[in-house]
Amino acid sequence: MTPNANRILIAIPAYNEGGTIAAIVERVRASLPNNDLLVVDDGSADATGSILEALGVTVATHMCNLGYGRAIQTAIMYALDGDYDALITLDADGQHQPEQVEGLLRDFEAGGCDVLIGSRYIAGGGYRGAPFGRRIGMQLFSLIVKLVVGKRVYDTSSGMKVMRRTVFDPLTHWHFVDFHAEAIVYLMRLGYRVGEYPVTVAERTQGRSMYTLVNYFKYPLKTSMLVLLGIIQAGMTRRRRDSS
Amino acid sequence: MTLQGILVINLIGLVLLLWVLNLVRHGRLYVGYGVIFVVAILGAVVLLSVPWLLNGVTHLIGAIFPASALTLLALCFIVLMLLYILTQLTIVSNRLSKLVQELAIERARLKGNAREAGSESGSGNYTK
Repeated sequence: MTPNANRILIAIPAYNEGGTIAAIVERVRASLPNNDLLVVDDGSADATGSILEALGVTVATHMCNLGYGRAIQTAIMYALDGDYDALITLDADGQHQPEQVEGLLRDFEAGGCDVLIGSRYIAGGGYRGAPFGRRIGMQLFSLIVKLVVGKRVYDTSSGMKVMRRTVFDPLTHWHFVDFHAEAIVYLMRLGYRVGEYPVTVAERTQGRSMYTLVNYFKYPLKTSMLVLLGIIQAGMTRRRRDSS
Repeated sequence: MTLQGILVINLIGLVLLLWVLNLVRHGRLYVGYGVIFVVAILGAVVLLSVPWLLNGVTHLIGAIFPASALTLLALCFIVLMLLYILTQLTIVSNRLSKLVQELAIERARLKGNAREAGSESGSGNYTK
């Protein structure tokens, strides 16, 4: 099966990414001309909205900032309503290479995973300029995932993912902070297959990261809590599913 | 504090903890508030269950007697009220988020349809 045999939606969540969004949209259009593109403008206060308008791209604009998790969820809801077979998510900060998506898609179609993560930490992948604190956090959550589901997922916080239609429904019925470790654990506990594909990620050159100093403390606590609750929720969902 | 008192404190802490976790699980309490409550409950339970710790804190803040039962009840009431208000806030916030998401999707779909119609008739306003 070729990567474009199915209807695939490419979604880019963006918040105050006026400096990079035009280039990303153009690169996505150039490298994946046959796929639909949706940008979720998460209540940007800068020129992101007007740039997207000028580019003529389909935009789902949040009237206020709802956060990364909600922006991804909007993309999933759009894909579900539009009857898409798969959803690809990319970050708007210019760190992801849209040119690598074709390989990711090919592996996704061949591998039979329900979610395939563009991973920076497996052989063949790469990430320039990751802060020390974030590297430690990623290692920690990778170990937590291994501990909880028995399979190591090396890059739990990658924004580059491909999701099959089968996971759209469970992902719109549970709440997530950032669709990172908590979403991976939830899906794997529900029996969905999650894999990784090596990608290289560049250092952010413009805009601001969503990880502020406060988030370095809040993020692990919130994610850990949702991992724990996701395990319980997935267990209950499976029990309900088995009994019905 | 007596052994009976410590047991009561732990029981109250456990019930509150389970309640908070259940609220977060059902999306009725925002996970950020949940973390604050879990940390506060665990901290209070540890402080009140370890006599030398409570005595140490009492001594540290310059108090003569450990917290009275009345203060504890008042604190419990404040916590319950706070939890109730935050629960309501989370519910309203979730409803608002859902509305914003649905509106964004509908607008995107309408604009997409208008663009398709425009390109079919050759009078599109958008540049690619």
